[in-house]
Amino acid sequence: MASKRASEQHHHHPVDPEEAAAAFARAIHDGDIVNFRLLFQPFSPAREDSIESFDTAKYDYLLPDSEMEADPRYQEYLEKVKEPAIWDHIQQELAANRPARMPAELVLLLADRAVELGKYTSASLAYEQLRIRQRMQEEFLALADEKLSEGDVKAGVKGYLIGTGLDYNYSAFPEPLPAVPNFQTQALILHGRYPQNPEDCVGMLPPEAHLRRAFEFLLGSADVAARLDEYNLETRLAFFRELVYARDPKWDEFAARMKEAVEMARDMQQRINELMGSGDGTYDGLVEEISSELGDDPRAISAKSLGEDPDTPREWWQYLKDLGYRSPPAVLFVARQFVGNSEIIVPRYVMDSPVAQAAGIDLPKRKA
Amino acid sequence: MTKHKNEPKPEQTQRDDQGYVDYFTILGLSEHAKPGDVRKAYKRKMKDLVSEIGQAELTEERRSYYLLEMAKLNAALYILRDPGLRDSYWEERKALIELESKWRQAEENGSDEADTLRRQYDSRIRGFLARYMEELVLEAGRDKECVEASGWDEAHERHASRLLRNYRQSMYQQILERLPYFDLTPITFDWEERKNKVRSLLEKAPH
Repeated sequence: MASKRASEQHHHHPVDPEEAAAAFARAIHDGDIVNFRLLFQPFSPAREDSIESFDTAKYDYLLPDSEMEADPRYQEYLEKVKEPAIWDHIQQELAANRPARMPAELVLLLADRAVELGKYTSASLAYEQLRIRQRMQEEFLALADEKLSEGDVKAGVKGYLIGTGLDYNYSAFPEPLPAVPNFQTQALILHGRYPQNPEDCVGMLPPEAHLRRAFEFLLGSADVAARLDEYNLETRLAFFRELVYARDPKWDEFAARMKEAVEMARDMQQRINELMGSGDGTYDGLVEEISSELGDDPRAISAKSLGEDPDTPREWWQYLKDLGYRSPPAVLFVARQFVGNSEIIVPRYVMDSPVAQAAGIDLPKRKA
Repeated sequence: MTKHKNEPKPEQTQRDDQGYVDYFTILGLSEHAKPGDVRKAYKRKMKDLVSEIGQAELTEERRSYYLLEMAKLNAALYILRDPGLRDSYWEERKALIELESKWRQAEENGSDEADTLRRQYDSRIRGFLARYMEELVLEAGRDKECVEASGWDEAHERHASRLLRNYRQSMYQQILERLPYFDLTPITFDWEERKNKVRSLLEKAPH
């Protein structure tokens, strides 16, 4: 008991209130709920009875730098933190030996700031704690619908991205967590079954169905994607185009590579047809045959679409995961394809479909 | 978010289950129903559901919805036909509702007991939801009578385990939303002001 008391006394250190207030203001300015919560934890450097202190360099990241201090937004947040009622409450909670009750006004300020900065995971955590996450999500989606009805597609897409960005995964184990885009895994699920028929490929679906799958995949929610069914095809295509660029700002670069990969795939198909016509009609050893006779590896098609060196061939699923990570919309225009014993990812979509046109990857059909 | 045609509207619900799953209501029975009534109601409800599934165009979201409905019916039969299980379920549920009201009262009166009651309640509600909205629901899916009536199999169970976790946590959240704040200071929202905020945030947020 005596040693415990001694150790408590040993750990007691004064905290500069200005420094503590600055740390709270910075967390709000950064829209960072993790750092904000940390400041209330038993090991917080803002607590006098904690062994941690702002004096050590490891907590520099919690304090504002001179540039931030000059930012009027930061000053606004600092002023709010120092409001007598709020500051008294913070000090009382930091002194108490129990889980802290955080000031809700500051958490709300932080959540809104996080949305402003595009930190939707942090915003989602903060709104969830305030118990208004679903309502906020609905408000953003409703406003996005209003914007879409007015013809403002860009604002509509932004609203949908914020709305889905605030989504929560209640089936996460062991505790619910904000839902985050996971395109690399979803891409594998989308192409989990080898296509037996052309219509099994997502890119070969009729425009309406292709768009629905695209929205489900790119927005990460079937429910939210279903809201878009109410709009006409023209609006949905414009929405899709905007969404493609939102998910991959470098889509133009990818589209150019995709078109080259399409040409390679077409060449390859032509060669396969010729070889099949002249050979015994089986695909066995076709990769080797093409390689030896024509000097090409079909896996170069996958590599081309990713802008990679075709001399380091990888498995189809590795390409697909990469594709999903680097350029999520691209996953909607490819399919798995066996060539001999080797499986590759090839571009496969209706070349002149309105969806391909909206994505800027449409190509004229080749003459037979 | 999407509503389905056989989802009960609030006015159709016989009793408000307050987020504490009420298997009697799910079967459309009173709490005094006999095991025979439970079986009859279960069979009728399951038959209706299976017939609706047969007629519906199954999208992924509808499949999940029907799976959850089927799981709830199976659990209702499994729990309510066994007097021991049924009594412990109903007692635990009643005790929880009482504990909630006790905690609310302590919170309103600013009593020192409030935090202790809150912790007790939180631990018990989690335990209750885990047992009666997940564990026993999955267990019901392996019961012979349920398997015969619903055609439940391993594939259903695999898919349902994720759905049930989601369902349980959503219910927890639903309950939590009406309870007093304990990790934050109390706050009320002006939704007109919030709507304006949403407008300004939409303009400011990066694409």
